[in-house]
This record gives sequence, structure tokens and C-alpha cells, in this order.
Amino acid sequence: MPIYAPTLPPRPERGLGDPPALVLARFDVRRVLRQRIGMFFLFTLGVWLLIKLVMLYVNHLLGTKTQLAGVKDLATALLPQGAAFQADFLSGPMLFVIWLLAAFVGGGLVARDTLHRIRPLMYAHPVRPADYWMGKALTAVGLPLAVMLPFILLPWVLSLLIAGGAGPVWPTLPLRMIPAALAIALLMGAVTLGASALAATPRAGVGWSLGILFGLNAPATVLAKVLDQPAWQALSPTDLAAAWPQLLCGVTPPALGWLPTALGTAAHLAVWAWILRMRTRPSEAVL
Amino acid sequence: MIAFEHLEVRYGPVVALRDLTLALEDGVIGLLGPNGSGKSTLLKTLLGLLSPAQGGGTVLGVPLGSPRAAELRARIGYMPEYDALIEDASAFEQVAFWGELSGLPAEQSRDRAHEVLHFVGLDESRYRKASGYSTGMRQRVKLAQALVHSPELVFLDEPTNGLDPDGRRRMLDLVLKVRAELGTGVILASHLLEDVERCADQLVILDQGQVKAAGSMEGLRRMLARRFELRFLDPLAAEQEAALAELGTVLEGRNGLYDLEFAAAEPAAAFRWAQAHGTVLVQLTPRHDRLDEVLIRALHGTPDDLRGTGLRPTPPDPRAVGGTASSGFPAPGGN
Repeated sequence: MPIYAPTLPPRPERGLGDPPALVLARFDVRRVLRQRIGMFFLFTLGVWLLIKLVMLYVNHLLGTKTQLAGVKDLATALLPQGAAFQADFLSGPMLFVIWLLAAFVGGGLVARDTLHRIRPLMYAHPVRPADYWMGKALTAVGLPLAVMLPFILLPWVLSLLIAGGAGPVWPTLPLRMIPAALAIALLMGAVTLGASALAATPRAGVGWSLGILFGLNAPATVLAKVLDQPAWQALSPTDLAAAWPQLLCGVTPPALGWLPTALGTAAHLAVWAWILRMRTRPSEAVL
Repeated sequence: MIAFEHLEVRYGPVVALRDLTLALEDGVIGLLGPNGSGKSTLLKTLLGLLSPAQGGGTVLGVPLGSPRAAELRARIGYMPEYDALIEDASAFEQVAFWGELSGLPAEQSRDRAHEVLHFVGLDESRYRKASGYSTGMRQRVKLAQALVHSPELVFLDEPTNGLDPDGRRRMLDLVLKVRAELGTGVILASHLLEDVERCADQLVILDQGQVKAAGSMEGLRRMLARRFELRFLDPLAAEQEAALAELGTVLEGRNGLYDLEFAAAEPAAAFRWAQAHGTVLVQLTPRHDRLDEVLIRALHGTPDDLRGTGLRPTPPDPRAVGGTASSGFPAPGGN
């Protein structure tokens, strides 16, 4: 007799498990980590993190080694300095790669359930729509946030180790950059989940996500240039994401001001959350 | 187990279920009806996904449309008609996942997934990805996910869909096993009459959002077994026709041929009756009415056409029924 021979009944005690949102997020994260594309992102981001740490060390050497005075001007011209150096830990190509990662992860989260008709079955369980949205958001927001945190915390720890409070990284950097990373992750999660809710297949979800990112970036740039109003850049989620580290680190002048950044972020969160809500209602569940 | 009173469910202006009054006892309930008859809407309403526009009812003691719907769904299992499998996950992973979503702790859910996959006969292939499963295996995974949390009631929507005869037989065996070994109430929605005939002990026929007939399968079977066709040598006189009521209920009669439902289970009494009334009975043939004939009469005939089937065209108000107050059905073996 196998060790798992049926012992049904007695009935197990229900209601003692984890909240449905957590169960959903755990299952989705495991699925994401199994995908091969995850390794690609892990490798790319790992290399970029290494480059950042080298830049940090070079910056430290330039400030402390008098022998390097000859190359200091050149290095200063190439490397961002001051507040821009701090904000640079969440910007540029690294942020672009994380956007791609978010699109690949978030773009499939809801669409995969739509394709395989998992959602109606989910709502036939003790799962409320709010649990579903929360579970998906935990994955779509949590994964990019988890990827961004080492880009803030490792340079900060390294700087403290090599130079204490006088290092190239501000000792207060996490207090500024973790909220920025959270705002960026929320934007990434909202846009990609909304895009995924619009799609019928995971591939289409990724396509929608990338289309929205690039599709909004172009008109935002054109409008900002033509009307000479930089605030129009707030239409673009990628520009909003780039603005948060600059604002929180005090880069002057920032690409976008506080008001357009805050309003643009809030508007994106509201619109994409609304789309997600409308496309995943239980009444959409056809049994 | 389930009771409705004047239940009406709407999709906007469209009435999907109309004035449903019904009470169902614990057991295997066959829900029959053509596509669009309201079976899925009824299941959605039972799961608490749709709220009644009028009327109401209870499922496992929980009122329909109550805020406790999520709690109720933890006590119900649902096997959908469609292919709702997570293709890149193994049977074990997904059954454990559904168990956790039904409120089981992770470890207990994994234990239960092993047990229930063994129960449905998938223990050897439970670690393979669902994308490689045959139709029969996929149906069994769906059944396993519906049972993993040991529900008190399980809804099976077309469980034999797409199965070959052998797979179908095995699935129906499993349905009977669910009832017999786990004691779980079963609602079996199907358009395959043979499936319902084999498994159900209560029957509900739905069409256009209304209950066309409902009753106990055993009562129906016994009733069908008492139906005979009688042929007399000569057409009966009016007083002889009237006297036929001594034998039972005359359902149809013309030109010396009578369709009769015997009151007692002793059809041979017809010969004694013929001798006593001065006529000659030349033929006594059992009417082997099949369930599909009953269904067709329920769907397309008048309430009178259901006479002799043991089914009630309009189920009575549950409150008005005496001994089977929660039933509304003729008791098994009765009627």
C-alpha cells in the first residue's frame, strides 16, 4: 500500500491556510522562475550590477588616490557626479532591462489565466476578485522590486565597507531610493497587469506591455518637444519611472517636476488598475 | 442540501432562471437540459457568483447572495466542463495549489493532493506536466482538484466530455465512488442521459431557465417499470374502459390498445380483470420507456405528457411538502 493511501475522510480543517493572494503570488513566482527567460534577465542584470559596483569603486578611488589626479577630469566627465551619481543606481539601461523583465513577467500573468480559463475556476474557489488582483500585483510589483533592491543596497553596503559614511554613496541612499524603487515597481506592475488583462494569450500580453511602453513614450516625447512643455513626458511610464530617483535624490534640474510625476504616476495606476478590474470581474467568468 | 424558492436570476434585462422552486436532498443529482437551458447559470448561482434578482434559497444552509459566499465555496468543489488546467504545472502541483486556494495549509494541501490523485487513479503520472496528459487524465485532474479539500458538495459539469467509452465508464465509476466512499453530495450536469441514468438518484430537467420536471430516479425507474401496453381482442365498451381504472391509470387508449400504468406491481392481474369483465386480453407488453423519451416529453410536451413518469412537472413549494419537507421529491421507492 502506498504511503499516501487515501485517508478520505476525515475532512481536513479548512480556513487555516495562507491568504489566497499569497498562495497565488507564490505559485506565479515559482512559474516565472522556472522560465528560461528568467536566466537571461538574471545574467544581464547581474552583469550590470557588477558594472555599477566597479563604477562605485572607481569613483571612490578618484576621490582618495592622488596618483589618479591625471585621469580625474576624464573620469568626472564620463561618470555622473553628486546627486546624479546617486540617482544613477536606478536609471539608464538597467531600468530598461527591468522594464523588459516586468513586461515578460507581468504581461503573461493575467493573460495566461485567460487563455487556459483558470480565472472562472479560481472564482469558484473561496477567492474574491480583490484576492486575485492582490495576488497578481504581489508578483508583478514584487519581482521588479526584488530585482531593484540589490542595485540600491549592494552599492550602499560596499560604500559603507570601503569608506564608511564618507564614501561615494550617501548613507541615506536607501531612504531615498527604496521609495523610488517602490514607485517604479508599482508603475511596472500596474502597466503590465493592465496590458495582460487586455490580452488573450501570454505572448499578446507581453506584446501589449511593450506596445504600451514604447507607444506612449513616442507621443509623450513629441508633445513635450512641440509644445515645449516637459510635463507631457508624464504620459510615458518609462519617463515617470526615470523621474522618481532623480526627484528623490534631488537631481537639478530633474527631467520632470514633482507635480507631473506624482499626477502621472497616480493616473497610470488608476487607469491600469481599472482596466484590470473590469477585465477580471467574476461576471466575466463564463462557467 | 439545496433549496430555492421562486428564484429568478437575470443578466441585465435577460431572465436566465425564472421562478425556480426546488429542493434537493443529499445524493447524486442529475441536472439535465439542452445547451442554454440555464444549467451553468444555476451552477454560478449556487457558487455565489450571481445574486438572485428575486426569490432566494440556501446552499448547505448558506443563503444565496450572502456575504458568506466565499466561505460557502470552501465547502463546494467544482469540476468545470472546459479544460481549466495549468499547462506548465504537473497534476500534483496544480491540485495542491487548488487545495491551498480552498483554504488548506500548504503541507496538508500537498498531502491531500497525493491522496486524491491516488483516488482518481493518477498516482503514477502525477509529476508529469498537464500539457502531456490525455483527455481522460485531464478530466481526472479536474476531478481531483474539485475533491482535494474534501468538499461537502461537488459540481461536476459534463465530466465525461470528450472521453471514449472506456474512459467514460471509468469516470462514471469515479463519480459513484465519490458518493459511496467520500459521502460527498454530487450535482452532475450533463446532456448525456445515460450518464445521469447511471449515476443519479435525483433528476432535474431544466429548459429555458425553468424546471421542466424533477423527481427521484428510483421512483422514475419503478414507475417506468409499471407501464404496459394492453391489447384487447375487441374494442372495449365505455363501461369496460371506465373499469380499467381498477387496474391503474390509463395514460392513453384507442382502438382496443391501451397504455396503462399499473397501480400494483402485478401486471398479470390484467388477465383476471379481462375475464371478469367479459373481454379477452391478447397482448400485455412492457413499455420500456427510456429516460430520453421522458426528457423529450419534459422538454417538448405538456405537463400531462409527464403522467406516469413519476416526475413532477411543477415541483411543489418545499414548505408545503410534509415528510420530505426539504425534498420536494417523491421519496425513493414511492410515487
